[in-house]
Amino acid sequence: MTTTAAPNAAPNAASAAAPPGRARIRTVYRWEIAKLTAQMRTRATLTVCLVAPFLFVVLLDQQSQVPKDTLFGRWVHASGFATPLFLLGFATQWVFPLLTSIVAGDIFAGEDQYGTWKTILTRAHSRTQIFWGKTLAAGSFAVLTVTVLALSSLAAGVLLVGHQPLEGLSGTLLPSGRAAGLVLAAWATALIPLLGFTALAVMLSVVTCNSAAGIVGPVVIGLIMQLYSFLNGSDAVRHLLLATPFDAWHGLLRDHPYYGPLWQGALVSAGYLAICLAVAHTVLRRRDITGG
Amino acid sequence: MPTRLVRHAPRARPDLRAPVARRARAPLAVAGAAVALVALLSGCGADITHTRVERSLAPTFTNLYLQQQALLGHSGVTAATINPHAACHRLSPTAHNTGAGSDWVCQLTWTDAAHRVQKGKFELTVHPGGCYEAGGPTKIVGPVDIRAAGGRTVTNPVYEFDACFDTT
Repeated sequence: MTTTAAPNAAPNAASAAAPPGRARIRTVYRWEIAKLTAQMRTRATLTVCLVAPFLFVVLLDQQSQVPKDTLFGRWVHASGFATPLFLLGFATQWVFPLLTSIVAGDIFAGEDQYGTWKTILTRAHSRTQIFWGKTLAAGSFAVLTVTVLALSSLAAGVLLVGHQPLEGLSGTLLPSGRAAGLVLAAWATALIPLLGFTALAVMLSVVTCNSAAGIVGPVVIGLIMQLYSFLNGSDAVRHLLLATPFDAWHGLLRDHPYYGPLWQGALVSAGYLAICLAVAHTVLRRRDITGG
Repeated sequence: MPTRLVRHAPRARPDLRAPVARRARAPLAVAGAAVALVALLSGCGADITHTRVERSLAPTFTNLYLQQQALLGHSGVTAATINPHAACHRLSPTAHNTGAGSDWVCQLTWTDAAHRVQKGKFELTVHPGGCYEAGGPTKIVGPVDIRAAGGRTVTNPVYEFDACFDTT
């Protein structure tokens, strides 16, 4: 599937404006995006992200009980803004790692599976350029899916439940305009650890050369991290887990917001991103690919 | 796990020793930064302490109680007249009143609309990230649904509620 030549028009136009290295990364990136849009799996993921929140709200509406275990669960019938926040709390537990690893875990290992490394490396693109092109494509897909899921959850809540003021996390009602902004901000904060999981999936994909390990690995690691927090592990270790920053949005939904966990989470996520990408890049550059 | 992989990688291609050493510098720098980060983040004490729980519960209760009183049509209640005070502890004696758990108990004292001092025991489940669910005594704060001043049945905001506090 990677054997076809790169699009002709794109590199010519791009190389005139940008330095050749960056233009080549852009070519790889465009080519990877074209491959992703052609895949059934990516289209199905995006469709699920678009439709699932509406189904979820319809199913919740039929129940008289409310899911109090998750934050904002008790308000899902009272305000449409509780729906996207409830879904955010629910999705970060295991859906987010899967949403990114479904592409990032396969984007390198897929070339091993189909034996296409030799073909793409005979082109004028270096391994580094291919690495960055593919990684950026995986990152773009992660951001796109979560953005679709966020907007769809917000739309499902507002259209099917309404835009009533939202009971915040400090005992005050947040007016609907402010609640809508905070919902989007809360979802945006989840992008930071999400990209950490993208890097983790890319690393597993490169290191194991196995799509299954690349896709399932981050989900399992995410679950173990959640389990560690759930079982009341030490605070110091919990701060260093990539699943912890997914909860950093809680501080935003207050009358007087706090941002400490958000900064801490951003630092930790950046650490995971840097380490995982450095390992993946190093391993890919040194790999013996002559065997195909 | 990542640093182990970095250490193993150079052995795979011994003929490339010089460029490998140069290339390995970036991951090493990253690993160094990670160690610094670990030191930075793990230097603090416990995330959940009784002081933090008390400082969060009292104002959150005040806000919710004001909402409840407004729904019931009781006027003349303000944050200043409620004047709440919380004293929290954990039932488990080995926990030293710190850490997440479902055995947090808070004694809350406040003044109601009729200027009577009320005392209630709130049971809390505190999660590691600093969010908690609190349930108040039905006799004092009312049942799960209350009848608002207009005759509507509404959810009693004080009966059970979620709140979060900063743990950093």
